[in-house]
Amino acid sequence: MTLGSATPLSDVVSPEALEPASGGSARLALGREPDAYVSPGSVQEVVEVLEWARATSSAVLPVGTGAHVGDRRAERPYVVLSTARMTGIEIYEPADLTLTAKAGTGLAELGGMTGEHRQWLPFDPMDAAKRTLGGLAATGVTGPLWAGYGHVRNHVLGMTVVCGDGRALRLGGRVVKNVAGFDLIKPMVGSRGRLAVITAVTLRLFPVPTLDRVLVLEAADLVSLVPTARAVATARTLPASIVLSLSTGAASFLVRLHGADETVDADQRMLEAHAGVSFAAKEGTEAEALLAATRDAGADAEVLLYASTLPSQLGALLDSIQGALRGVDCVVVADVAEGCARVAFSGAGYSDAVLEMCAGVEALGGTVAVHRCPIDASPAALSTPLSPDAHEIGEGVKRIFDPSGVLL
Amino acid sequence: MSQPPTPGSLGSAGLPVLPVPPKIVKRLSGIVGETHVITDPDRLLVYESDGLTAYRVTPRAVVLPGSTDEVARVVEILHAEGIEVVPRGAGTGLSGGALATENGVVVGMARMNRILEIDPENRLARLQPGVVNAHLTEATRPHGLYYAPDPSSQSTCTLGGNVAENSGGPHCLKYGVTSRYVTGLTVVLAGGRVVQLAGAGGARHASLDLVGLFVGSEGCFGIATEIEVRLLPLAEGVRTLLGIFETMEDAGRAVTAIMASGLMPAAIEIVDQATIRALEASVFAAGYPVDAGAALVVEFDGTEVGLDADADRAEKCCLAEGAREVQRATEPEHRAALWTARKKAFGAMGRIAPDLLVQDATVPRTKLPEVLVRIAQIGESYDIKIANVFHAGDGNLHPNLLFDRQNASELERVEHASKEIMKLCVEVGGTITGEHGVGIDKRDYMPLVHNETELEMLRSVKELFDPDGLFNPGKVLPSRAAPGSEPPAGMIS
Repeated sequence: MTLGSATPLSDVVSPEALEPASGGSARLALGREPDAYVSPGSVQEVVEVLEWARATSSAVLPVGTGAHVGDRRAERPYVVLSTARMTGIEIYEPADLTLTAKAGTGLAELGGMTGEHRQWLPFDPMDAAKRTLGGLAATGVTGPLWAGYGHVRNHVLGMTVVCGDGRALRLGGRVVKNVAGFDLIKPMVGSRGRLAVITAVTLRLFPVPTLDRVLVLEAADLVSLVPTARAVATARTLPASIVLSLSTGAASFLVRLHGADETVDADQRMLEAHAGVSFAAKEGTEAEALLAATRDAGADAEVLLYASTLPSQLGALLDSIQGALRGVDCVVVADVAEGCARVAFSGAGYSDAVLEMCAGVEALGGTVAVHRCPIDASPAALSTPLSPDAHEIGEGVKRIFDPSGVLL
Repeated sequence: MSQPPTPGSLGSAGLPVLPVPPKIVKRLSGIVGETHVITDPDRLLVYESDGLTAYRVTPRAVVLPGSTDEVARVVEILHAEGIEVVPRGAGTGLSGGALATENGVVVGMARMNRILEIDPENRLARLQPGVVNAHLTEATRPHGLYYAPDPSSQSTCTLGGNVAENSGGPHCLKYGVTSRYVTGLTVVLAGGRVVQLAGAGGARHASLDLVGLFVGSEGCFGIATEIEVRLLPLAEGVRTLLGIFETMEDAGRAVTAIMASGLMPAAIEIVDQATIRALEASVFAAGYPVDAGAALVVEFDGTEVGLDADADRAEKCCLAEGAREVQRATEPEHRAALWTARKKAFGAMGRIAPDLLVQDATVPRTKLPEVLVRIAQIGESYDIKIANVFHAGDGNLHPNLLFDRQNASELERVEHASKEIMKLCVEVGGTITGEHGVGIDKRDYMPLVHNETELEMLRSVKELFDPDGLFNPGKVLPSRAAPGSEPPAGMIS
């Protein structure tokens, strides 16, 4: 088919792809309403949509659930491309501990399938239960389980993607070690849909640990927990995650230990001796509820940002955050091993608070990345700018994958 | 851009085809010092190949800079003169990645071998690319830390080479490969431009992962001159098992059984009978039984309590799959001997044949038993002896094809057998290289795993970093296919 500038989208996709219910996306507040929502049912339909967009000079915003595109601003007409209809597992061989699924498949669904074989995906980003596999890869946000298992980008073995100009590519493969060519998966994971539409992902899986125990320490304020948190983070054992959390005015320190029963017991004893504290231990549904509440705290806030510095400067980082947000009811969830804090809050006056926080964090040599804020501000303008070199090379990579700049 | 070399055909007499003009040598000497610019044909011979000795090309010169600034100025001069730059670490690579080009000058990192900073609080280290892998762990051990990726050549290979190849190693089964541990790079790009990519713990949530893109670029994008890596705490305890099997198939099934049982070993390695016999006849003898069909080295590490239970479970898996015996390395010396033997296996092969092609491919772990049988059949059909020693837990095969390069017929049969093994691995869902890189050796196999659109994408990324094609040309990327042509064959045909 030859596409002209007046070709309607309905000419290039099936009617099901344009049904309102198939979009599956939350309404997006990017500064202007999208012209259309489209949910391709196949890789070929994704190709058709992107070729149509290029021919009609339209922009495309790829989304999974659409819950994590708050950093975007649409200054030109655009179409939301949802992967909601591209679901299902393509290959799952439990003995290989690898899985390939279509991008729109929910993490919760995958968790159910892999759980039957006592396997799992060790990622716990905010809203994990609501995310899609493609969204996980596109955002590259791992969550605090990074400490024990590594980042999402370390476990994505392969992908199929459609570039901005409609070229379909396979990146990587489905084996756990693969260096056949430059590693294009790395820039793709975390590219937030700016390079290509991810249509399927192959991941490495892990055995479910015999025991999942959460050690808890509570305090009146966050900063007083920092010495204990740092002591745990520099101890000889490697916990699955180490988190400081401030939510609804309550501060807590959570250490997640995975392993056989006797190993977890020994690790707890060692950490308590090393840090000079006594933890409350939680397991089962009680632990799950606590972890989920911490993981998802602030998910609906108007402002969502990540502030990072070296782990050894965590205390100063938290001081900067709380100093900038004095009097504001905020959520702070800090990954102690990474030196990264997720900050979420709502209310007026956020711009000044974020800029003050940026100044404080940058003075520590750290960075602030705003993932969501009200529409009257630019998330990029509130974030720490990239170095000119990183920006230039990043734009070069963008031009290779999306030469016409179709992807928003 | 240089034409692809053929094995042993270029410059092997020790004379560079095209010496670097004296005027340029003088300018390079002015930057790095006269003694660090090598143009003497005898001394250049050292640099005519890397660990893949089937290919030899004498470089026009070798330059050994001592700092990022010197690397940048050297690259600036060479690129301005249109001279290709071939980066080189210790030259232990097995895919010809550090092979010189006819028009190329090798820029070696041997003098840049300092650990610049160890930061125990943040579990980071910053170092120059010429630091030997094992030296980093030695230096961080007093802080209770170590660097996880452990290639078999770790006693000589350098971090710069590890970054270029995205190297693995036996313990990458549990801990992952090089890219998981590199958090920042200072790189010298085309024309001598110095660029900082992330660092101080790594980029977070803000930009494309350019560090991850650079790692594994095989010297085709530029030269890493400073490397920041993440360190891990030393494990409290370790248990090492040696499973003795009558056949490779039994050992292969045991690997699948162990991994499917929910255990997370630090390493699982297979050593076959041919390799065992070569090892036990060498100075690396460690007590592997020479009558065994295969041996499985299984290791667990972590919190001391619980390791015995893990080892017990692994032992049961081995016995259930037909192991005739499972030994435990109870003394540190025994464990060290088992690992030294495993890691020096390639060297011991010299007892079987004068030349060795170390192949590298990965298959889904469950395909191991089938693939091992078929590799043996391929060896038989071409009358080539193949010895296997590899990272079984990752499905990362290293069939070693043994031959005598003076025997032209045998060399040709090695090439055909090698190509069939690659095709087999791809056919069962695997890939052509798991950790050694593409280099020159696998370049022409790339069409087995990438179509022309994907290859063109890789070429575009190369051009972004290196628009004039002056960094390590002729590596990784096959020439553009002529319309209607067959995919290129391997290194000889």
